[in-house]
Amino acid sequence: MSALAIPHRTFSPRLARLPGWTVLVCWTAAVLLPLYILVVSCFKTTAEIYDNRLGLPQSWAFDNFVRAWTRADLGHNFINSLIVTGGAVILTIVVSAMAAYPLSRYRLGWNAIMLGLFLSGIMLPIRLASVELFTLMRKLGLLDSLTGLILVYSAIRIPFAVFIFANFMRVLPSELDEAARMDGAGEVRILFQIILPMVKPAVSIVAIFTAIAVWNDFFFPLIFIFDDRYKTVPLAISVFVGQFRTDWGLVFASLAISMAPILIMYCLLARQIREGVGAGGGMK
Amino acid sequence: MANLHRTSSLKRTQQRMAVLFILPALAVYALFVLYPLAMSLWGSFFIWKGLRMVEFAGLSNFSRLFVFPSGARLYGALWHNTAWFFGIMVFQNGIGLLFAWLLFLRDRGAAFFQSVFFFPAVLSPVIVGALWRLLLAPGGVVEWALNGLGLHEGSLTVLGNSHTALGMLIAVDVWNWMGLPVLIYTAGLRQISGQIFEAAKLDGAGNARMLFSIALPLLMPALGTLTTLSFINTFNQFDIVYVMQGVQGNPSYATDTLVTYFYRLAFGAEGAVGITDIGLALALGTVLFLILSIGTLLMLRFFDRRTVQL
Repeated sequence: MSALAIPHRTFSPRLARLPGWTVLVCWTAAVLLPLYILVVSCFKTTAEIYDNRLGLPQSWAFDNFVRAWTRADLGHNFINSLIVTGGAVILTIVVSAMAAYPLSRYRLGWNAIMLGLFLSGIMLPIRLASVELFTLMRKLGLLDSLTGLILVYSAIRIPFAVFIFANFMRVLPSELDEAARMDGAGEVRILFQIILPMVKPAVSIVAIFTAIAVWNDFFFPLIFIFDDRYKTVPLAISVFVGQFRTDWGLVFASLAISMAPILIMYCLLARQIREGVGAGGGMK
Repeated sequence: MANLHRTSSLKRTQQRMAVLFILPALAVYALFVLYPLAMSLWGSFFIWKGLRMVEFAGLSNFSRLFVFPSGARLYGALWHNTAWFFGIMVFQNGIGLLFAWLLFLRDRGAAFFQSVFFFPAVLSPVIVGALWRLLLAPGGVVEWALNGLGLHEGSLTVLGNSHTALGMLIAVDVWNWMGLPVLIYTAGLRQISGQIFEAAKLDGAGNARMLFSIALPLLMPALGTLTTLSFINTFNQFDIVYVMQGVQGNPSYATDTLVTYFYRLAFGAEGAVGITDIGLALALGTVLFLILSIGTLLMLRFFDRRTVQL
């Protein structure tokens, strides 16, 4: 054993770590290089993209962004995506927190069964139900409607949200709501003014992961939205990629615009996202 | 006595309040998830005319699903999903373990690398697919780079070649989700007591020995989570294929998956005339549902048994 350990000691520890650092830096480059090409290509004309692959653009012209926003009408899709994402996040948080509160803090006798029913939804492959979902949405008049998307996304995200809220609420001391109840506070007030502010980390986990999943989704707009007025960003992008195939500058610019909100959110909340994923793996 | 009366009235109020509080979430969840899913499973036993259920058909949809002409599509897609899953297990969850271990051994820079590695995972698969489609296209930057390095000559057609297209999509998926195993493994490694590694070091164990003999057995819960997630995600794979190769899984169905096949059957892009076959689509949905639920349960059990308690 000691013979094996000798080669380790003859290297300086810094030198021994060099291969490891190289591997990490290589993957960093593999992640960042395509994104760098995406960003610089936004400012280039199609001819320039072919001539000058990796260099900075000759001029920082916003021409492609303006064309993507106006000619391809991405601005409209952007507003639709904001409405759907905002609506789904708020609805998911409100109804899931309401459901998780009694399920985690009352003694009902049927907590476990109900919680199990919600949790089973985390794994359910909902895409397979899209035919029946389509029929249902048509009956309810929710095709070509942002409200329809908000309801479907909330329904899909509720299981994960109930799971997170119930886990955080369960560990709060029971004196909290008992004292408030003694003071004559109603259950609605106890939930929204006392319990919910105590589980802010849960609210941010649910908000972040619901927002990412909804903003990025492409499958449900693809089957429920036909009218250009209601298309969300990912659906519009998938159309552009075919439609403006040869206009690379325009396509790159529209990709950059559509990832901007997520990029900003990621820069602000990278730590919460890292910890949330590490703890639950509750993505997708 | 008064106290007892008070608690039982509190109990009744609580039961009533609980129902009111749970109802909105349950209604939305039941109406838009449970009900359509149950109806889809039930509907797979019926003959369909367009979007209308006509009559009970027993298992006839299923027997049609497994034979010509549907059989070729089904087995092709099943194979592509399976290859995709093993590709992800080796290249994403395997290499991800190496990255996580390297980050764990270093006291500096872990947060930075984790954030960079995870960033593609928060992007829409549509953006990732479109970006890589442009980079890998003939005349794109990858072709230019490979030609410049002398590794390749002429036009790069990896996405149009049926031997390489599936591998390229798997590689794009690995690029997309590499951050996930890195984050989950590092979280798992940090839960292991430092004393265990100290003791191993004193016994003369090298880094590789510590990773495979000590860390890996203790990382079984993390590996279980990742295997299950990867299984569910690869067998639901749709977006990257749709954006990069089209809904037919081009070239000549070489990248077709179970969900793209399902989508064509359900929403009318299968065959030359492009008509829907709802009965067949729902039967495929039921088969996929069984694969996913049985597979997930077996995996959870497998990893539960191998979890080492300290």
